[in-house]
Amino acid sequence: MNKHINELIEDALDSVDHLKRATPRPFLLTRIHARMNRETVSVWERTGRLISRPAVAFTGLCILLLINITVIISNKTSNEATATDQVTQSSGDEFSYTVATIYDNENAQP
Amino acid sequence: MNQPELIVLLQQGDESAFKKLVDEYESMVYNTALGIVQNTDDADDLTQEVFIQVYKSISSFKGESKFSTWLYRITLGKALDHEKKKKRKKRFGFVQGLFGGDDKEQMHAVEFDHPGVQMEKKERASELFNALKKIPDKQRIAFTLHKLEGQSYQEIAEIMNTTLYAVESLLGRAKTNLKKELNKYYNNIQK
Repeated sequence: MNKHINELIEDALDSVDHLKRATPRPFLLTRIHARMNRETVSVWERTGRLISRPAVAFTGLCILLLINITVIISNKTSNEATATDQVTQSSGDEFSYTVATIYDNENAQP
Repeated sequence: MNQPELIVLLQQGDESAFKKLVDEYESMVYNTALGIVQNTDDADDLTQEVFIQVYKSISSFKGESKFSTWLYRITLGKALDHEKKKKRKKRFGFVQGLFGGDDKEQMHAVEFDHPGVQMEKKERASELFNALKKIPDKQRIAFTLHKLEGQSYQEIAEIMNTTLYAVESLLGRAKTNLKKELNKYYNNIQK
């Protein structure tokens, strides 16, 4: 029985010797061109599909929100800084926070 | 038109050069893919994919290896990727089956009937192809290239980017593992 199995194994291993070449279906080149054209169109389709994925759409939305929040916060900070400068300037004008020196007293303008 | 000229023309996007390339290499690509995926429709699809890939990336071919070596690498890479996807699908089908899904077709291995095998050897060849699916990828590639494509050890070493010694070892182990698998199979059917 073992001998028989060994023969079967050897036969199986030799069964692909002198194998004839298989051929693909006809008009391979035409099918390749058709597929290339299909793939060119589907690049846009794929992009559309990618953008419309919930995870991608949600991430995009979060990024947009984050950018908006960053811009608003940075604008607010710069506005506050300008307002503080303006207040300092106006109180300086009003209360004359200028340093009076002896030179100023002696050389008073007419 | 010799091969370097053909490649230069391909890199310039010449359509007639691409046609010549397909005519010249379709059998090689198709038969290699067929040996790995063991399905004529899938091999046909893969052949198309390989040539599209070649068309798109021919500019990256620097001529450091033979063109056929480069083409074999692309074909084998695509064929193995295809196999991995198929296995994943099968596993998913199995899980679906556990939860009541009806995916019987995917769960049963289909016997492969290679169109190039002589009529009287078909049964044995089918058993060999079935056993081939069960051995590691590298051994399967080495065996396919050697037995089905008739490549020498040196050429296989270049395609697989390895040493001659490693190829000898891979082929030896492939044969041992195939014998084990076939032995298991024949013992089971004789019980």
